[in-house]
Amino acid sequence: MSVWRDSVVSKESREINIDKALQLLRSRPRVIGIGLEHFSRELKRQGVRVIHVNWQPRPRLEKDLEDILSKIL
Amino acid sequence: MPRIVNIVKKGLYRDSVHLLHISDHVRRLDGVLNAMIAMGTKLNKEILAREGLLSSEGSDAGENDLIIALKISDLADLNVILAKVEDLLSKTPTQDLEIYSDLDYALDTNRDINLALVSVPGQYAKEVVMKLLDRGLHIHLFSDHVPIEHEVEMKRYAIEKGLLLMGPEAGTSIISGVAIAFANQVRRGPVGIISASGTGLQEVSILLHRIGLGISHGIGVGGRDLSKEVGGIMTLFSIDVLERDDMTEVIIIISKPPSKEVIERVLDRISRGEKRYVTCFVGGDIVDLDPRLKGRISQAKTLHGAVLETVKIYRPDLYRDAYNKLWIEDRLLVEISEATSRLREDQRYIRGLFTGGTLAYEAMLILSEYVRDIYSNTPLKEDQRLLDPWRSVGNTIIDLGGGEFTEGRAHPMIDPGIRVMRIIEEASDPEVAVIMLDFVLGYGAHPDPVGVHADAIKRAINIARSSGRDLVILAHVVGSEEDPQIASAQEDMLRKLGVIVLPTNATMAVSAAMIASRRADQKLLLDFQRKFIEIGL
Repeated sequence: MSVWRDSVVSKESREINIDKALQLLRSRPRVIGIGLEHFSRELKRQGVRVIHVNWQPRPRLEKDLEDILSKIL
Repeated sequence: MPRIVNIVKKGLYRDSVHLLHISDHVRRLDGVLNAMIAMGTKLNKEILAREGLLSSEGSDAGENDLIIALKISDLADLNVILAKVEDLLSKTPTQDLEIYSDLDYALDTNRDINLALVSVPGQYAKEVVMKLLDRGLHIHLFSDHVPIEHEVEMKRYAIEKGLLLMGPEAGTSIISGVAIAFANQVRRGPVGIISASGTGLQEVSILLHRIGLGISHGIGVGGRDLSKEVGGIMTLFSIDVLERDDMTEVIIIISKPPSKEVIERVLDRISRGEKRYVTCFVGGDIVDLDPRLKGRISQAKTLHGAVLETVKIYRPDLYRDAYNKLWIEDRLLVEISEATSRLREDQRYIRGLFTGGTLAYEAMLILSEYVRDIYSNTPLKEDQRLLDPWRSVGNTIIDLGGGEFTEGRAHPMIDPGIRVMRIIEEASDPEVAVIMLDFVLGYGAHPDPVGVHADAIKRAINIARSSGRDLVILAHVVGSEEDPQIASAQEDMLRKLGVIVLPTNATMAVSAAMIASRRADQKLLLDFQRKFIEIGL
């Protein structure tokens, strides 16, 4: 197993495993696109295995409704 | 009589690229004189106002509201046009893509997925990314406006799990030959790139490809990775990974100048490595290295220089040929010199309109040696920051990918709208001698970047001519023959428009300097070579 003695991420010495990253580089990526559908389409065009999640921001409550709720809850 | 109509859809969100396509479609409908469908960000409202498309309803829209802004010839057509817009908004543009509405369900039913490409608005990025890291996915995070403390937290968590987190603000990665977000089709080979700059990675990978070398992987670590706050977390991790990657033999590290402490950390790490390295801290100082490392580690100040240094330490037999391929040939120098001789004396200024941030930065760095004061929205010196990024003064270099030009809009590599307007404005200024333009091809980018600027370039040249002036337009195309847009076809189109095409971004900048300083000669070229291309380590 490849390890890296880490001095940057934390003061304590910890062993960092790079095997998962090497696995990614040794394969052709299989991608999930989240956000701009354009990028997922561009991956598809390259023949890459890609699925897409049609991400939407959570609906935002109107300010006054939020105020009322914050008083009730 | 033409009428301006704004309709605001409260709380309706559609992504910027989707809206760009809808706007293009609506503009072609019968009875529509102009149209823009966009989220109601401050920037989009400003552009609507400039285009004469904003009414009071649109002005009141918030950034989470969608504005349908139309200029129509007859109010009687409005209902038909609106019905079409509604139809376009309700459809997803691609039918052949496997689309999910629930992230967990998508991952539960597709367990072979190993990389997530995330481009949600920055304020939502952490929530999405942490969930993906928990599910063991590597991530390319395109989103910008991600708070730096979120970046540190996400990267630490990723490393704990042994996962790559490329980004935030990572425009480009190339993993096993696959172009992620904005990236070019380049051959695979022995050069690994770790880059805190998307267009830096694109330019370097393209120049390596053009001189016959190939890329193992290009890891985009995000523009702030080498800052003091982030401490180079992902760069150091990527070095470790590429040290163990069988295909990679030489590694290029690209960034704007990192903090001193982080440079030391990176140099310390690579000096203990086994592979060959070229560091390219664009604009940074060359550091004294242990002489024993000479031949294994090299340094460059420009992207152009980094490519040549790579050849020097990895394939010295290719150096002469590579050098010539990236240089300004005599024929081009003659063309530049002739164009310069046609300028009027009061045409002194350079204007650079860049879609690539690091390309803008590299250009400013080179220009700063030959011309005084270079103003910018991303200046080399803080006292040269443009007060109003929408108005150029003196020598001005603009990064159109900067936050002030992209809020709620697609990146200028996809949406040429702002640059097209700006080309005309620069051409109308009688003191302008030369305009520089970068054209980035590849996946993610516009399907015909030059074609979509052709009218503006023709108009710019005509505006100058009609006032008795000549205007020099320089361009550099970041693209390969294998890219969907085909680099040579885009370059030919530029030449037919009367544009001078340079082989690298750096040679475009030095050409602009030659033109503005009226020194289009070999002497300045040799000086440029000494300062930026061969640093004589």
